[in-house]
Amino acid sequence: MTLVLLQTLILLAVAPFIVGLIRKVKARLQCRRGASPFQPYADLAKLFRKEPVVSTATSWIFTATPYILFASTLAAGLLVPIFASQMPLSFAGNIIALVYLLALGTFFLILAGLDAGSAFGGMGSSREAIVASLTEPAMIVSIFAIALTAGSTNLSTIVHKTALLEGIVTDPAPHLMALAALFIVTLAETGRVPVDNPATHLELTMIHEAMVLEYSGRYLALLEWAAGIKLLVLLTLIANVFAPWGIATSPTPAAIGIGLAVYLVKVSGLAVLIGVIESMFAKLRLFRVPELLGVAFILALLGLVFFYTLRG
Amino acid sequence: MPAIDPHIGTQLVDLCSALLLLTCFAIVAQRRLSACVELFALQSGFLAATTALVAFLTGIHHLYLAAAMTVLIKGLVIPRILKKVIERLNVTRELQMNVNVPAGLLICGALVILAFFITQPIIPLGFLLTRDSLAIALAIVLIGFFTMIARKKAVTQVVGFLVMENGLFLGATAAAYGMPLIVELGVFFDVLVASLIVGIYTHRIQDAFDSLDTSQLTTLKE
Repeated sequence: MTLVLLQTLILLAVAPFIVGLIRKVKARLQCRRGASPFQPYADLAKLFRKEPVVSTATSWIFTATPYILFASTLAAGLLVPIFASQMPLSFAGNIIALVYLLALGTFFLILAGLDAGSAFGGMGSSREAIVASLTEPAMIVSIFAIALTAGSTNLSTIVHKTALLEGIVTDPAPHLMALAALFIVTLAETGRVPVDNPATHLELTMIHEAMVLEYSGRYLALLEWAAGIKLLVLLTLIANVFAPWGIATSPTPAAIGIGLAVYLVKVSGLAVLIGVIESMFAKLRLFRVPELLGVAFILALLGLVFFYTLRG
Repeated sequence: MPAIDPHIGTQLVDLCSALLLLTCFAIVAQRRLSACVELFALQSGFLAATTALVAFLTGIHHLYLAAAMTVLIKGLVIPRILKKVIERLNVTRELQMNVNVPAGLLICGALVILAFFITQPIIPLGFLLTRDSLAIALAIVLIGFFTMIARKKAVTQVVGFLVMENGLFLGATAAAYGMPLIVELGVFFDVLVASLIVGIYTHRIQDAFDSLDTSQLTTLKE
């Protein structure tokens, strides 16, 4: 129980830091000083204090969406082993449940974007629907490639087996393909640069920002926080499924402490990597996005094919 | 024999070959010509790494020489020649394709599965530690062939040809631990000369048609 509580706290506390860290890395690479990585905490606190303004044209979906998105993302995060390989909640759902919990949040976000009836919101929603429908096959297939190597769809089992070197040493090639696919999917799902630009507002190319344009106050804070948690969950998935070394394989306090420290280092490393990628690449034109996601799908498919053929 | 577990050795060879296949897909997905050439250089680097790894694991020394030649000729000289051709012809983008990129990627995925399917009955009969790479080598040859068909412009067709050659080289390494040294040297020389000739030839196409579109060659009449 304490483990679940600790994991919830980590997800809530680390997510804004990761967002801030990416911004900081980008700022430094552009020769700006940039805000402190802890700035998003202050932003969230400020937004929570402000009064939300809700259009009279909206239905209950508009006000319910921030809570649904936040809850479903957090629930998805609780299924991923963060610092201990065997989570007490792992019986509650496997990797497929994780994908669909994230998809549930996306679905309501799309509905909410349409709800207020503004032109930008509808546009953002339609774009998000394209991206979401293209990322899903890639994500599912890459996850199957991992699940097959470990012989289970349960994340705790996958991570535990890999941490104890029972899976990955026998099959690096499928893992590599699945990793590349999942990384592209992460960039697309969380609205990062080659697909969407999180730093712009009021631009014709935005996706996520267009959908949440009508939100203010605590609703906006919840949405932003949920977006940060989603990013953190996907980064955790990458870090712990593909390189779980250092994670606590037994529930002793010392192992958990080490697992926690290693986890923070790994996730920060991934955040820096994302910052570097965002500085190096330009945003793709919207009609080029299917190509990128096609690459991700093919990579995941290759991972699956390799699993069956390269069996030594 | 080197002190490394043969099972891990096989995995490493598989991993390197998988990276080779990965660069093939990157080439198919890429639109910019110079990036295509760079990816080909990267692929040759992976090929050299695979060859060197096989040489290390089996103790066949002439494969080291083949790996070094791969780095030198396919990794450095040929990309430089192609870069120079691209620079002089002033073509940076290749927008004309017979098959668009997502469809091309799906076709390539199907080709890989086809290659694995074809080699499936052969692979268990082999006993070499590189036997799994045979399927990947066949897949790379097919993808190179597909690139030559799918692209209209001359320079990417050359890249497709070179990718095919890489696949054949990997196939030779996988099926028989490399060809005799003299044959390998001959092949390297052939490829080098072929890319030089193609470099000149593309200039002639450009001069004659003001474009590198090879489909215009079908209109040639006496």
